[in-house]
Amino acid sequence: MIAVEGLRKRFGRHLALDDLDFVVPEGEIFGFLGPNGAGKTTTIRILATLARPDGGSARIAGVAVDRDPYGVQRVVGYMPDFFGVYDRLNATEYLEFYGACHDLPAPRRRRVARELLELVDLTARASDQVDTLSRGMKQRLCLARALVHNPQVLLLDEPASGLDPRARIEMRDLIRELRRMGKTILISSHIVPELEELCTWIGVIDRGRVVEVGPKADVLRRATAGQRLRIALAGAGDDRLAAAAARVGTWTGVLDVEVVDGCLEAAIGPDLAAHRLLRDLVEAGFDVAEFTPLAGSLSDLFMRLTGDPEPPARANEEGG
Amino acid sequence: MDWRRSLRRVFLNPLVTKDGLSRMRSWRAPGAIALYLGLLGGFGVLVLRVALGAGGQSGGYTQSGGYAQIGSAVFTAMAMLQLALVCLFSPAVAAGAVSAERERQTLDVLLVSGVSPLSLVWGKLVASVAFILLLVVAAQPLFATIFLFGGIDFQQFAIAQLLTATTALAAAAVSLLFSVLFRRTLLSTVAAYAATFAGTVGTWVLGVILTIGAASQRTGFPELNPLMLFNPIQAMLMILQVPVIGVTVPAARRSTTLYTGLAGLVVAPPVEPWMVTVAAESVLVILCAAAAVLLLRGQRPMPWSLEPRVEPVHPGVEPQDQPVR
Repeated sequence: MIAVEGLRKRFGRHLALDDLDFVVPEGEIFGFLGPNGAGKTTTIRILATLARPDGGSARIAGVAVDRDPYGVQRVVGYMPDFFGVYDRLNATEYLEFYGACHDLPAPRRRRVARELLELVDLTARASDQVDTLSRGMKQRLCLARALVHNPQVLLLDEPASGLDPRARIEMRDLIRELRRMGKTILISSHIVPELEELCTWIGVIDRGRVVEVGPKADVLRRATAGQRLRIALAGAGDDRLAAAAARVGTWTGVLDVEVVDGCLEAAIGPDLAAHRLLRDLVEAGFDVAEFTPLAGSLSDLFMRLTGDPEPPARANEEGG
Repeated sequence: MDWRRSLRRVFLNPLVTKDGLSRMRSWRAPGAIALYLGLLGGFGVLVLRVALGAGGQSGGYTQSGGYAQIGSAVFTAMAMLQLALVCLFSPAVAAGAVSAERERQTLDVLLVSGVSPLSLVWGKLVASVAFILLLVVAAQPLFATIFLFGGIDFQQFAIAQLLTATTALAAAAVSLLFSVLFRRTLLSTVAAYAATFAGTVGTWVLGVILTIGAASQRTGFPELNPLMLFNPIQAMLMILQVPVIGVTVPAARRSTTLYTGLAGLVVAPPVEPWMVTVAAESVLVILCAAAAVLLLRGQRPMPWSLEPRVEPVHPGVEPQDQPVR
């Protein structure tokens, strides 16, 4: 549904997107993950026809974003990370206005506004002026606005930013509901657990390049390929732990061993057979009380893939 | 975007409805109408009292044609004030049309909602001018009462209103261009007022100085400087036959004056100066609207554009880019 190939975008001397490639299959929730400034917002703005790429191509539902922006706008609903609302318009009028922008006939506009307000649970606030709504309600209203022309694809840039936990859960449920309605959804975020729970596909972007992409299960499997083991020894003192660490460290395939909270944690490569390491420790006389592979998570993968030292100036930046 | 949709957007632009609804729900709209009518009516009454007082002292207003002179004087004063007021109101209404959308972060959403830059500029221009025209229309009963005195024919009245309307449109178009050019409404408003002042009072004063300078070097009927022929103040004064620089330009001389001043021709078709002004203002509207559309499209980087080409201060910061159209 979304196909991005070799996308490049430069702002002055800064290369924001560097040969970006990824695809989003139809009907999936694609989590676009990356640290602040990685290029998420630039990518989404290009897909939404708000920015022009310097090179490469991007297609949504077969329509090239730089060749036919109006064609893209017909199939895309866009929700920016920061947005405002008009004052002195109520929620129904707000949606009807955008319906008119998308050339919906007046009777259909009213019906669509009513249905969308119901979908985002704002029917009770239909007559309230939009600038009096809470942040969470405005987010939901903005999502309803993005749906006013019934697009196939939704581009949501940090849809849950600034929301309280309850509003986040409501937003998450809403996005799931939209997937059930057949929408293809691309969500950008730098909040990993949020995406891990919600998405079916994951793309990790760092410094303008996609460093990992695929179905969530595959990405997580790859994340655990080089796993960590937690090894607890019964009644072991510091000397005993140090001896065990030294023995574990002699194994080929063990990348690193450290003592964490009175236990050993070993990073092992994919070629190491963990059961042989366990047998060796037992045969060496260590009383192994726990030998547990630590579950790989998207957070681990994210930290590993985007963990290169950053220039100091990036530390306090917002946006992505 | 097909032509039928474009045509529909000309007459049924959702922005006009939305902006109109928003504007009329604010206390500012009735406040502006009340202020406008109050100033115009108050000024008219003041001029009327002065004229009646002057006429009473000389016994002039009781003579034949005295009321007509009073009517003409009051109408002229009110028409000039109306021109000044629309020049004051137009930038206030139009200078924030696009920059305010940017400031409240609604422009991006608008541009991905099937609204083309042309449709956006057209909608904003119509919405702004519609309010100014509402003020002009609301003032018509005030002007109508002046007809009771006589001294003004319908043609003068109609042309004065047309000139006021086109001047309002031109001021709104210039203000709208600044609204696209500048990110901040405050800045665009200041620039719009400066441009409107320069284009009306500035060119008129300059034209008067140049005309006086030229008249001192020649004898006979003073030629108006061509600059003044594009000036709405001068056009209004000539419609109302107000003497400028000590002379009233007779109707028979106007067209000749125009063409002599412009191209040195002696024989010319009968073109009235107000026609030149209206035509010039219409061209200005088209140019400003076209420039605004091109700026919004972001396809014509203009060297004089005051929108900086945003570059990140640090690697990783992603500036807001111009939209693709």
